[in-house]
Amino acid sequence: MADVALAMPRPVPDYNEAVVKKFVIAAVFWAIVAFLVGVYLATELAWPQFNLGLSFINFGRLRPVHTSAGIFAFGGSMLFGTSFYVVQRTCRTRLFGGEALANFVFWGYQFFIVMAALSYVMGFSKSQEYAEPQWHIDLWLTIVWVAYAVIFIGTLMKREEPHIYVANWFYLAFILTVAVLHIGNNLVVPISVFSSQGYSMASGVQNAMIQWWYGHNAVGFFLTAGFLGMMYYFIPKAANRPVYSYRLSVVHFWSLVFLYIWAGPHHLHWTALPDWTQTLGMAFSIMLWMPSWGGMINGLMTLSGAWDKLRTDPGLRFSVTAVGFYGMATFEGPVMSVRDVNALSHYTDWGIGHVHSGVLGWVAFISFGALYYLVPVLWKRSALYSTRLASWHYWIATLGIVFYITSMWVAGIMQGLMWRAYDQFGFLQYSFAESVVAVHPYYVIRLLGGLMFLGGALIMVYNLIQTVRSRTTEQPVMRLAPLAGLDPTLAVAGE
Amino acid sequence: MDIEPSDLIVGLLMAALGLTGLILASGAMDDGMYVFGFSLFVFACVFEFGLMRRHFDKREAGRHG
Repeated sequence: MADVALAMPRPVPDYNEAVVKKFVIAAVFWAIVAFLVGVYLATELAWPQFNLGLSFINFGRLRPVHTSAGIFAFGGSMLFGTSFYVVQRTCRTRLFGGEALANFVFWGYQFFIVMAALSYVMGFSKSQEYAEPQWHIDLWLTIVWVAYAVIFIGTLMKREEPHIYVANWFYLAFILTVAVLHIGNNLVVPISVFSSQGYSMASGVQNAMIQWWYGHNAVGFFLTAGFLGMMYYFIPKAANRPVYSYRLSVVHFWSLVFLYIWAGPHHLHWTALPDWTQTLGMAFSIMLWMPSWGGMINGLMTLSGAWDKLRTDPGLRFSVTAVGFYGMATFEGPVMSVRDVNALSHYTDWGIGHVHSGVLGWVAFISFGALYYLVPVLWKRSALYSTRLASWHYWIATLGIVFYITSMWVAGIMQGLMWRAYDQFGFLQYSFAESVVAVHPYYVIRLLGGLMFLGGALIMVYNLIQTVRSRTTEQPVMRLAPLAGLDPTLAVAGE
Repeated sequence: MDIEPSDLIVGLLMAALGLTGLILASGAMDDGMYVFGFSLFVFACVFEFGLMRRHFDKREAGRHG
């Protein structure tokens, strides 16, 4: 009976694709903003004259604009958009809460981004990394986030499928944990309801610990769990294969969410934080190798029997390379969390290189893969305007990342070694200024890498606009037929 | 009344938030709060007009469709 029911074609619900489209457009826009500001900052670091004596474009003010535009504006818009797309399709139901609530989440989130960026360039900041917005902007984000959670959880609750597909588990972990982190780290007593200034409820080392509990889990749940949700949906769809091991994906999920939350103290090695807490953070960071690599293997092995698609589908190539970068960055992170390695790497550009191998290689690449898949589907086009341009994007961006991370590795290790070098009398061998001069060539190489990444993204923007507008892609989208012998419902549950 | 419950709830929420923005801007002690409060008020007004436009667009489409 159940088999007969499965075999019956079911009507496709009237999905809310308008809000997904809006988030896709916003994500592409913010990606360019983030990369552009990043390139400008790299120019300022190589040649400080580019500060131009203007307070609102100095490094201190523009840096949070770059990180927030990259993580929250580009990454966040991708996560909101794809989670709304995935949850509707895998639950076979329209978004909960109606069109107005979905629109509120979209415009409310964009308002948050603009307000935060504006406050940074005006010189307002809580001075906590990735949590710079003042209390009133944080409060606004909380309202938007609750509305987002209501839509996502409400959609899961009214699903027409008995099963909750694994991608939704990752998106849900991202939504719930980021809510807890955001509220926990931003508990502030304002000096007045009419003032943007306030005092953090925690002080000293407690404040630092809470900040890095938040900061590291922003990486773990915003930049990892959410994007793993993207991986678990778009790679199987693009490859037209089911997830390699569904059981492994469930083990991946629970081990990742359990371990990540404890790893924050590795950001505070050799500080006033108690030694045992530092060791705890280090131990949990090393244990994170297991789920990270389990997830990477699961993502890569999903292509078993479909590796040939990498030659013809540049979007899938982005996604699979992203999984490779995910494996590499999550190998490097635990290494850097070891206290003795951290003594060399902390406060150097090695950290910047590590972060960018994660955000450019993993976050941006998995997003590009999703964008190349989504745009033709959402705008009902036959295919991408040009797979050749997408290939150019892929190679230019990949080379850009290589320039970026290798130059930062060399610069960072050199800085660490110069800062700890002593002469035979026990004096420091180099002044700080000498280490600044020494890294100059690597800063120029980093700028070149950033320019290439930006150039690749601009090619993508042209390609996506043409995909939507060109007459050559006017035919409605026809997805590939499932592989021989493969149940068409298998690639992703619910579809 | 053919107003969707979602439109009504979000509309009322935005009206309250817009009013809050106006109050914040009126008593702002620094530029950060002034810009935020005033922007929130403008944002809420534009959002309300968007809700109204969509409502009448839908009604129009229903009448002709």
